[in-house]
Amino acid sequence: MSEAEALVDQLVAAFPALTGRVTVQRAKRVWIDVDRQAFPEVFRRLAKDLGFEVFCMITGLDEGADLGLIYHLARNDGLMANVKTRCPKGESMQTITSIFPGGGIYERELIDLLGAHIEGLPEGARYPLPDNWPKDEHPLLKDWKPKDKGAQDA
Amino acid sequence: MTVGSAVLSILVFPGFLFLVAFGLAGEFVDRKLYARLQNRQGPPWYQPLADFLKLLGKENVIPEDADRPIFRLAPVFALAATIAAILYIPLWSTTSVLPFEGDLIVVLYLLVIPTVAFFLGGWTSRSVFATIGAFRAITQVFAYEIPLFVALLAPALLANTWSISGIAAYYGSHPWMWLVNLLGFGVALVSLLGKLEKVPFDTPEAETEIVAGSFTEYSGRRLAFFRLAIDCEAIVGASLVAAVFLPFGLGLPPVLGILVYLAKVLLILGTLALLRTLFARLRIDQMVHFCWSVVAPIAFLQILINLVVRELI
Amino acid sequence: MPDKKRTVRVPIGPQHPALKEPESFMVDLQGEKISSVALRLGYNHRGIEKGCEERTYMQDLYLVERVCGICSHSHATAFIQAVEEIAGLEIPRRAKYIRTLIAELERVHSHLLWLGVAGHEIGFDTLLMYSWRDRELVMDLFAELTGNRVNYAMNTLGGVRRDIAAEQFPHIQKIVDTLEERTKYYIELAMTEETLAQRLSGVGYLSKEDAVRLGAVGPTSRASGADRDTRRDDPYAAYDELDFKVITDDRCDVLGRAVVRLGELMQSYSMIRQILKQMPEGPITVKAPLKIPAGEAVSRYEAPRGEDVHYVRANGTDKPERVKVRAPTLANTQSVAKMLEDGYLADLPIVVAAIDPCFSCTDRTIAVQGNGDSKTMGWEELVQYGVRWYRDRGVDPSRIKVRGDESA
Repeated sequence: MSEAEALVDQLVAAFPALTGRVTVQRAKRVWIDVDRQAFPEVFRRLAKDLGFEVFCMITGLDEGADLGLIYHLARNDGLMANVKTRCPKGESMQTITSIFPGGGIYERELIDLLGAHIEGLPEGARYPLPDNWPKDEHPLLKDWKPKDKGAQDA
Repeated sequence: MTVGSAVLSILVFPGFLFLVAFGLAGEFVDRKLYARLQNRQGPPWYQPLADFLKLLGKENVIPEDADRPIFRLAPVFALAATIAAILYIPLWSTTSVLPFEGDLIVVLYLLVIPTVAFFLGGWTSRSVFATIGAFRAITQVFAYEIPLFVALLAPALLANTWSISGIAAYYGSHPWMWLVNLLGFGVALVSLLGKLEKVPFDTPEAETEIVAGSFTEYSGRRLAFFRLAIDCEAIVGASLVAAVFLPFGLGLPPVLGILVYLAKVLLILGTLALLRTLFARLRIDQMVHFCWSVVAPIAFLQILINLVVRELI
Repeated sequence: MPDKKRTVRVPIGPQHPALKEPESFMVDLQGEKISSVALRLGYNHRGIEKGCEERTYMQDLYLVERVCGICSHSHATAFIQAVEEIAGLEIPRRAKYIRTLIAELERVHSHLLWLGVAGHEIGFDTLLMYSWRDRELVMDLFAELTGNRVNYAMNTLGGVRRDIAAEQFPHIQKIVDTLEERTKYYIELAMTEETLAQRLSGVGYLSKEDAVRLGAVGPTSRASGADRDTRRDDPYAAYDELDFKVITDDRCDVLGRAVVRLGELMQSYSMIRQILKQMPEGPITVKAPLKIPAGEAVSRYEAPRGEDVHYVRANGTDKPERVKVRAPTLANTQSVAKMLEDGYLADLPIVVAAIDPCFSCTDRTIAVQGNGDSKTMGWEELVQYGVRWYRDRGVDPSRIKVRGDESA
């Protein structure tokens, strides 16, 4: 049994709700689809007990009413677990900085570019938009368009 | 000495004009050699002069918070002190323009003035980078100045005079005695690197940390005069070291004597350029530690040697 | 308890001679010692991720290549690998080898560049001049092999754009031999030169636990003893067919980071030789569709500075739904504050340089000016603005006046 399949079994054994929601894309890629409520527990289990100590990044996606979030984790043997979850726009996610202190910057990126709400994030400078950027403009949302694009082209 | 010849000495030779010309030439030698040692092409011979003239034409900016009189005067102090110092140093013969018993001490103090001017200029310009640079400059003074003093006093002990001209005369008549002072020569070269704020002792103007140190807020002709003062200081420092530690060809006719003098100074400048090619910049704490734990003991050892030698002869 | 009166706040950046790119470190100093550092990134945000969503995959390939000037091939390869995985394309072996060859040459030029910058940061300009002179050999080789010194554009969807002729092999071989000789000299230098050791050893300490906890990647993590390298752990391109060692070091300081990079250079030379020896014959591209079927993929790539991670989601059209780029510097900057703890101001440039930062990669995305509040500033106004900017942050720089005011 490959590492990826072993991981699927371990996860399904620990969280029966994940049955059928953990897929193996190829030898080193596992995708885990998890509800927002179960996310903190699954994430903690992966990071603390299953050896996923490399935190790669968070991808944020604009999926209409929801914000899609993918937390990319990796293990030292190269196996990568991509944990997908969804968060309705306007509601907030728990921060992961208690597990990965270096993860804060990716969460700030979600706040600036996609308007996510993160609970429990320590105080700090915003990233990556400038200080005078309006608080309610989030460039990576699908309905956001640069306002004076025509003026720039002219 | 008539008034006419005194004015000539101060303004033309070996004073202002000569020192400025030689200083710029020395900067060229330093930069060219440094570049060639680093596998680069290096600047053309007129580059230092071109830089100087260009800076003269640039805008002068004074920070509003700066203490204006001191900020303005600092570069002039630095330049004036170096020019004054050259008058007491014998260049190609055994007498200087204005020799007197004790001029060694006067020259050493005159040569501290540029560093004090860097400090005052940096301190009064009220920028954080300049302030840190000023502090580092003054910290560094305490590290290299004592070894330099001690290293220069050792030959004086042997010659039994406090006059540089007297020292030059003594070693001129005892040609092989200069070998006794080799350790002191080394100490003086290292201290000179510190005085001129060159790698590995360029912390006061470390560009990757504090932009340009004391000179950060300087621009235009004031910066030009500061840079000129450093060029001149290099020549005066090298002349002093040459007069005390390299007493060759002092009895030669003027033209030949001057050539020998130029060769000695360029040799010292070349050595400094070589040294700064070889090292990385030390941190200020490492610099102070190095000076007190290595350079100063060697300087004191030189004093001890000279005291013993004096008893023997 | 730090004494407020004795604390000096020094702004390193956004413009500063030590920084080759804009970022800001607000450093609080107690004498020469650092008591705290506040980091601000984002000055290079150019809107690349947003831009990718509005362009086709082929256009994106060239856009992504411009995420970074130094590791351009890294980003392009990481991106195109993800797209190829979604499209189910298996690229020819020869294309894989050419991609790997360019990747390793890029590592060589990036590490040599780093060595020079590191030398400059500690005032050792001779090292800068020497290593950048050697780096020219690689740059010229790039021009010869790909047509360009930077942004080589070797990749295309389904393979590579240019073949490398067998007649070019001896020349590559010769350059690698020369560089290997020079690198050996630098290794000796790093190990024996006294001032270098004094400035690098024990500086910027980052323990293995902290490196893992804060998510350091690449040479920065390997110099803290973390044994990981995407080329070995999750092989892509031709790395599974090459024989190489992952260089690690347990010094955990700047010297360790230098040793790891120098060691990696030697590994790269050996890999380039293997590639030249084993280069398979055959085509260099497979036919690729313009529209990529819906799907998603994550691609990992060991760039010279650490791991690049690219996520691509396709929606069945010729434009991606979402492209997400994670450059290694973003991961490594998280450890910088830790490394600077209780350090000296003099060590800040080299500690920052030792993660081999590339802030353009890190920031990627400000799209076009958002709400039309751009305006032209006169010189006076600009000066005032700059002064205000710093004063708001607790720094009172000298209020500079332009000539003309001087007489006042």
